[in-house]
Amino acid sequence: MVTRLALDARSLFTAAEIEARTNRSPLVEAEHLLLAMSAHPATDAGQVLASAGLTHEALERALATEFEASLAAGGVSVSAGGPPRPSPGPRRRLRLSASFKAAMERSVTAAAGSRQIRPAHLLLGVLGAQAGTVPRALRLAGVDRAGLATLTRQALSG
Amino acid sequence: MPALEIDPTSGPADGLAAVVALRRLADLTEDAEVERAMRSGWSWPQVAEALGVTRQAVHKKHAQRLIAAGVDLRRR
Repeated sequence: MVTRLALDARSLFTAAEIEARTNRSPLVEAEHLLLAMSAHPATDAGQVLASAGLTHEALERALATEFEASLAAGGVSVSAGGPPRPSPGPRRRLRLSASFKAAMERSVTAAAGSRQIRPAHLLLGVLGAQAGTVPRALRLAGVDRAGLATLTRQALSG
Repeated sequence: MPALEIDPTSGPADGLAAVVALRRLADLTEDAEVERAMRSGWSWPQVAEALGVTRQAVHKKHAQRLIAAGVDLRRR
């Protein structure tokens, strides 16, 4: 079975890569895909996120909070200036992380029977993670992941 | 047995997330500090010695990024 990637879903991949580079990450992670969705409010996924108050800025804040909380769990606090910000790497293809690939696999499953993989399918894939940065950031921001997934399914069927 | 339903902010989840966050902080710190040393005129062998890695390793990991950032790396 080959399911095609919708055009706006494809452009989210490029946007996720830019988010990764902006965040000085050597890999494109699931959270970068989520950030990319929030920056594209015209997509079905972007609309679901916006309806839950998850703007790009709100997500960035949630991810920063998760990073600080996790460092604190490891006994480390970042100075007032925040974590170091080295110059970004050169523009080139970044490799996909395990969290990104797992989200993709869940998206393909969620899109089974559909003509193409929509951004909302990608969002379902990202929301399907049980552990790791995305579910932690959403939990710390007080977001109900299951509720968000229900909204996403409604957006897909509506 | 079905997989345990896990709380993403429980004790074990916090501990594992600490590993991820500390690795990320170490990577960010390495990138920033290698950049600072090279902007201050350090040579690749000096940076490598300070980090306890080979010159080839530090060069391979950082040269492209520093060139893109406009750091002059000639005769290092």
